[in-house]
Amino acid sequence: MIKFLNPSYVFYLTGKLLNFVKTFILPIAIIGIIFSLFVSPKDYVQGDAVRIMYVHVPSAWISLLCFALISFLCIISFVFKIKSVSLIYKSLAPIGLTFSFVAIVTGSLWGKPTWGTWWAWDVRLTSMLILMIFYIIFISSYKLIKNSHKSSKICALISVLGLINLAIIKYSVDWWSTLHQPSSVNMLGKTTVHFSMLIPLGIMLFAFFLYTALIFLMKYRIETIRVKRKGLKKL
Amino acid sequence: MNLNIFLMNGYGVYVWSSFILTLLACLFLFLKTRKTLEKLEKNFVKETQSLSHEELEDLKKQKVIKEILVSHSKT
Repeated sequence: MIKFLNPSYVFYLTGKLLNFVKTFILPIAIIGIIFSLFVSPKDYVQGDAVRIMYVHVPSAWISLLCFALISFLCIISFVFKIKSVSLIYKSLAPIGLTFSFVAIVTGSLWGKPTWGTWWAWDVRLTSMLILMIFYIIFISSYKLIKNSHKSSKICALISVLGLINLAIIKYSVDWWSTLHQPSSVNMLGKTTVHFSMLIPLGIMLFAFFLYTALIFLMKYRIETIRVKRKGLKKL
Repeated sequence: MNLNIFLMNGYGVYVWSSFILTLLACLFLFLKTRKTLEKLEKNFVKETQSLSHEELEDLKKQKVIKEILVSHSKT
């Protein structure tokens, strides 16, 4: 475990993994897009508008996953005072922000033909917007606060508050009567999406994961070089 | 050519906009990150070149620094 938190080992790994991800990302993304736009069937109620699901759902899932990971890492960093963990959460935050933005905008584009409106102050939609605001506050806090101890404290506080919002996002469709449909894909329960739509969704999710890995690895290298540059200036 | 593939029974504008926007957002983040990484690596190498031979050899003992210098020389 400690080996995986060692920046020099992780930096070495990022170089190896970057080449691997770069090789596979483009073919998988192209296959995913072809399946999503041309191969997968129309929905019997929503028609072709359902194809927006293939970009909306993976981006929403990744933005939630990134925030959950960030919160976990912030708590670890705050409790065990492991400084190198901050390199990981700083690398994840911009990806989460981008995908939360994509999820909101594509959701709005999906909402217009299905609900007849671009936006509604519905619990699911509003809590997703709050998640994006949390990301903006989180990124601003570590960029603007130069004192690393103070910054890690504030980041931990923001991420813990954000965790409450994550629970609201997840269960909003069950707790309240919302415009947003209940979740159709369940890990433990019954999945109501047909297999012919699950395949393109799976491919797109994999492509989005590869993209997340690609940006994360590049961002991690950036954060590591920044730390090392500070060391150089002290010489 | 079947235009309906692109028009999607009137939903095309929403579907294509979603895909194009996602692609643009991903491309923007990728290009911005790559530019920052290249700039930082370049500046880092420049800064190490201004160090004395002994200081540089000392630095190279750190695996991360060695990796940064090697990865920059490959690009």
